[in-house]
Amino acid sequence: MIDPMTALAILAMAGVTYLTRIGGYVVLKNRALSPRATAVMEAAPGCVLISVIAPDFVSRNPADLAALAITVLAATRLSMLPTVVIGVASAGALRWLIG
Amino acid sequence: MSVSEITLAEGKATNRRGAEFRRGLAAATPMLLGIIPYALVLGAQAAQRGLSVLEVPLMTGLNFAGGSEFAAIQLWTSPPHILLIAAITLLVNSRHFLMGAALAPFIRHLPNRQVFPALFLMCDESWAVGLADAQRRAAAGARPAFSLAFYLGAGLAVYLAWVAFTTCGAALGPVLGDVETYGFAMAFPAVFLVLLRGMWKGFAASRPWLVSLAVAALTYLLVPGAWYVAAGALSGLVAAWFLAGET
Repeated sequence: MIDPMTALAILAMAGVTYLTRIGGYVVLKNRALSPRATAVMEAAPGCVLISVIAPDFVSRNPADLAALAITVLAATRLSMLPTVVIGVASAGALRWLIG
Repeated sequence: MSVSEITLAEGKATNRRGAEFRRGLAAATPMLLGIIPYALVLGAQAAQRGLSVLEVPLMTGLNFAGGSEFAAIQLWTSPPHILLIAAITLLVNSRHFLMGAALAPFIRHLPNRQVFPALFLMCDESWAVGLADAQRRAAAGARPAFSLAFYLGAGLAVYLAWVAFTTCGAALGPVLGDVETYGFAMAFPAVFLVLLRGMWKGFAASRPWLVSLAVAALTYLLVPGAWYVAAGALSGLVAAWFLAGET
């Protein structure tokens, strides 16, 4: 049920991924950052998050773009669970309505 | 302190850790709504590519990074091209370097035997809620600001859901059809947008985010593959570097 080549590929993935997880911490653990580098690190989490979801902002599906606009609006004033529910519900409804 | 007082103090600490762990589980719950459909889709796609019901949890349990698993499955051949898959995994997960770096000031006081297992559970969701929680507690003057039990609660909830539901997806794949049509894909941006709002410190401080968004979106449209995450994140950092020199 487990092919040796598949297992090897999976182990390679797992090793690479774990190195990315510990890498940033190991490098910065014992280092004090300059104010400029601190400003860069403070912006970093937001830059990563928004880059991951950037494709949703240029979706070719008008229903998804409209649902994203609703979700952005919800995110500015509601907490996590209602925002997720509104996002999923509006995407489902709009896809059904305008496909 | 007498023996009974020590036991009492330890009992209190255990209770507090338990409460923090449960708070982490609760924080992760809305995210599971987004994770579970993705996990089912990934499992189903992996099964389509010829991975067995044992190989899927082996991948999702050892690697535990959804984006790279989706990318790897798209490129999967029989036998798999190991170097290509490792390179794509590195590319998609390179954001972890930045995430770990952002977490470093909050976790550097912890012993290695806690940090290195905890970092295994660092995914987009556990990192984001763990960091946001630490920032909030730091602003409120809590010491230490980072709650390890909270972070582990959130990380473990996501981990178990991911491994369990990718396995279900592999087993049920052919029955499910296309889960994407139901709108669950919007759960992922919804979670991220709420987290971004939590990190918002005014428009000026967020200009690098806009650079990231624009560059990532353009890269996504123009360059095939997963380059857009790295391109967007790096250009935002460069923008932050130049904007920081401005003041």
